Amino acid sequence: MSGRGQQSLLAEGLARQGHVAPAVEACYQALRVDDADPLIHALLAELFLTGDFYDEAIAAASRAIELDPDCAPAYLALGLAYDRRGGMWDQSILVWHELAEVVPDLVTAHVQLGEAFASAAFQEEAIEAWRMALELDASEPRAMYNLAVAALKREGMATALPGFRRAGELDPSQDDFFFSLAGVYDDGTPAPDPADVAPDRDSRLSAALELAFEEDFFSAVDLIRLILDEDPDDAEALALAGYLYLKQEAVNEAMSVALRAMAVSTRTPTAVYVLGASFAKRPGLNRNAARVFGALAKAVPDDAMPHVLLAESLLGLQRYGQAKNSYLRAVELDPACVRARFGLAAVLLTEGEHSRAHWEVRRAAYHDTRRQGLFWRLYDTYAGGRS
Amino acid sequence: MATRKGGPRQPRERVAPAEKPAVPQTPRKEAPAAVAGSKQTAPAEVAAAPAPKPPRRNSLFPVGATIYPLDTETESWNDWYLRDQSEDLDAIGEARFALVRLLVSWKVLEPQVGQYDERAIDRLEDLIAAAREKKLQVIVCFFADDRHAELTEVPWGKKRDPRTDNYLVQREVALVQKLVARFRADPGVFAWQLANEAFCSGFETSSALEAWTRQLREAIRELDEERPITLGIDPEALFRATGVDARAAIDTCEFGVSHVTAAYRAYAAEGPITSGPSTYLDSFLLRTAGRGKPVLLDEVGVLSLDYSPGEEAAALRIALWSGLVNRGAGALVRRYRDLETERREPYFLDPFETLVGVTDGAGRPKPALGEMRTFVKTAARIDLRHFEPTPERTAVIMPAERYLPLPNLAGLFDPRSCLAAFIGAKEAHLPVTVAFETDDFSAYSVLLVPSAFELAEKTWERLAGFVQSGGSLLLSYGGGDANSAIREIFGIEFLGDAGPRSTLSCRVAQQEVLGTLDNFDVNIDVPNYALLSGGTATIVATDAKGSPLLTVNQVGQGRAIYLAAPVERAIAQGDPWATPAAVRKMMREVYGAVARAAGCGAPVTCDVPEVEVTLFQGETDDLVVLMNHAPEKVSANLTTDRRVSSVTDVRGGAPVAVGGTAFGVPIEANGAVALRLAYA
Repeated sequence: MSGRGQQSLLAEGLARQGHVAPAVEACYQALRVDDADPLIHALLAELFLTGDFYDEAIAAASRAIELDPDCAPAYLALGLAYDRRGGMWDQSILVWHELAEVVPDLVTAHVQLGEAFASAAFQEEAIEAWRMALELDASEPRAMYNLAVAALKREGMATALPGFRRAGELDPSQDDFFFSLAGVYDDGTPAPDPADVAPDRDSRLSAALELAFEEDFFSAVDLIRLILDEDPDDAEALALAGYLYLKQEAVNEAMSVALRAMAVSTRTPTAVYVLGASFAKRPGLNRNAARVFGALAKAVPDDAMPHVLLAESLLGLQRYGQAKNSYLRAVELDPACVRARFGLAAVLLTEGEHSRAHWEVRRAAYHDTRRQGLFWRLYDTYAGGRS
Repeated sequence: MATRKGGPRQPRERVAPAEKPAVPQTPRKEAPAAVAGSKQTAPAEVAAAPAPKPPRRNSLFPVGATIYPLDTETESWNDWYLRDQSEDLDAIGEARFALVRLLVSWKVLEPQVGQYDERAIDRLEDLIAAAREKKLQVIVCFFADDRHAELTEVPWGKKRDPRTDNYLVQREVALVQKLVARFRADPGVFAWQLANEAFCSGFETSSALEAWTRQLREAIRELDEERPITLGIDPEALFRATGVDARAAIDTCEFGVSHVTAAYRAYAAEGPITSGPSTYLDSFLLRTAGRGKPVLLDEVGVLSLDYSPGEEAAALRIALWSGLVNRGAGALVRRYRDLETERREPYFLDPFETLVGVTDGAGRPKPALGEMRTFVKTAARIDLRHFEPTPERTAVIMPAERYLPLPNLAGLFDPRSCLAAFIGAKEAHLPVTVAFETDDFSAYSVLLVPSAFELAEKTWERLAGFVQSGGSLLLSYGGGDANSAIREIFGIEFLGDAGPRSTLSCRVAQQEVLGTLDNFDVNIDVPNYALLSGGTATIVATDAKGSPLLTVNQVGQGRAIYLAAPVERAIAQGDPWATPAAVRKMMREVYGAVARAAGCGAPVTCDVPEVEVTLFQGETDDLVVLMNHAPEKVSANLTTDRRVSSVTDVRGGAPVAVGGTAFGVPIEANGAVALRLAYA
């Protein structure tokens, strides 16, 4: 292997492991060997972006693009650096346009393009970009949130609220919250085969939760049915049944099952969640949803999601001040909560605080794009294409 | 002279346009004799005056604005100050400003080599005269670029670099001498500014900048030995932008400037401008620019047209008060009038920072101008000859590694960590400043070294001496191998770096040793964690697994406190607007407790961390200035060491009886309140 290759691989390996400083050092070493390698410049841009050093990231990514105008990871790093830095929306728009051409199916490029247009006060173009993103991926929550914010700016909260609800449904964090209440986390092990599950209640419930987590709802339902056949008053099984109904848009059934679970035991947080989520899906039941989510927020005070759910119910009741407090609490608990950030932006817009609202939208994008880890996908594709 | 609060008073050095003895001055209404309570007041004069007039402005904190030569994006360089500026100067004079800055255009004044446009120079003379008539003084900036019309690019320069090309520099010297010779006797000129940030950012080395500065400075001094000269650049912001260390060049000038540039704000505190780190950035840069000389808070105000007029006003209010309470020598707003922009197209958004003034493009006042008027009126009643800010005996140390080039990342991380520490100290209500690793530490009792990667060997020796002789040192681990000196200074053994963690835990082992700490587990990305074993140090807090988090070691007459994680860096690199409250409280408590134990704690305690408290000490009474960094109204409860008989708003009104050591003060969102405290 050549010296250049070794340094590049070292830099890449260190970067993947999150060792920013040694990775930057290795990139510089690699550039001493060959300063015309766009991949290393793109990697350097990503590393600077990780540290939020935007001017350095812009310089490195621009150099990579100079060297190879098809370097998609460099476009991504450059666009994100412009957006996170702020105040350079014109350049940002150009970059996202380019990236959308280089990688046409990259949904994030369209979402970011829309946000850059919106920041530069070009709402029509922004809406067009977000619609394009939803055409590519109908389950892209950030595009939906942005459309809801745009609707709020134009027509007010009544029109925007369904958009926020829809975006919330697309957002996987709410399901994650249900499973965290049930004690199920992604530990990398696959859910068991329903045929292999031991015929006792705990094993069946545990397996049903894991299957539901993996979105194998029919197998989960089968196991839940077995539990409820033996004990119809098993509150936790009822709560999971309610969740499964919710996933199938059977809101009335979910509500009745959750109420039944609550009648059996009021101390089943999963049932409280399902009841609140069922109420929240019915526009006229925001008051009930707010009460239920209020109780859930008290029961699980250190998780951001119940505060977000409470805030969304309060938005429906037009109690913006209370909603703002709940959103602020959620952001305090989890600054990376995209849903809370967008909700907070909505409340701030109702208060006329446009620049603070804009900041919250930008922070949502910041955390969302950091979470996605798109750079490595584009990097690997680009590196694979070169080789 | 000793003060009641302890510690020697630091001599005040200020830019005082009204008091320069060598330059003939227009008589000013706010002469010291008119200030109530001033010791210089002659009894006969007091008897003659029916009632002392309130001063019109604070002569030790002059406020002003830059009048830009062009008003619209469509104008070109030859429209330089073509519009009659008398309307603006009238309004500026009426608003009680003291300074205006005018930008010379080399391109206009010397259209051909050696041939000066006398009409343009007359225009400049008329402007200075008009300012003088309004009792304003002018800072003449020679090589200023407004980033729109290339005012410094002479067409005959043939694209040579005007900063380093010998011939062009000689032409610059000739221009400067021509102007100085013409205006040196003019009392309307307060100071000469060699260049602005836009021009200086073209320098590539510190030595080139220093050489250029010396040459221009000597050229001025040949003709004018008295007037202050400044370079017009913020050393920290310029270094960040260009990698050029301007400190040596600035040291040759009479006063410095601090300037929050758009790029620096994007780097250090990108976020809402009326809350969080943004609101401390002006004072932080003011402190870093302070190199034993007066520092003018330059180009204050918002940087883009994205904000509402209310936000513009609030941001300006914070900046102006920050300047006053952080020993600024005055303040200049970015520009008086908004730049009239062309209709925006997506690909032509202006990225520079010369857009926003305190009036709109037609000269109609915006709320920001009202804010400035209010500030000038209020600041006029704070007699800085009579009241001195509490001496800053706590310093945040900026490590020398900050000046190392890439790929060393310390230069990128350290200023942010220092800003986080500075904010922490402010939230603990400490009088705090920023010092550099190579500075003399003898003026300080407490040193905060936030998350530095590496300090020089000599610095470790100096820190050991500092602690031995009674100082308190708080150092947080910055990652990598720890220096062996930590064993001697902090009484701990470094076992290694446990690496990054996403949760910071605190379990209090010894309560009240470093303030009132709480147990917590919070989500915050901490890049490193030092594994320590006990030595002579007392373990004050540990993480969830019992590894020391905070230790205190008594060394000689001083104390050394070690924080096992780079918490300041974690705060700065995370979301500084959403730092977990428990972490903020821990830092506040620790900083406050260390300073208290060293005898330089908060002179006035306050229960709202977002309220910056500055105590100005007088002979018989004191003055407290409260600044609310939060965008919401707060009610601050203050506690003083002495029994306060009454408080009075410096703007006037009846004294309010207190009769105790505690009282509450409501403060508007981003508001400021100045109160005179009378003691029982």
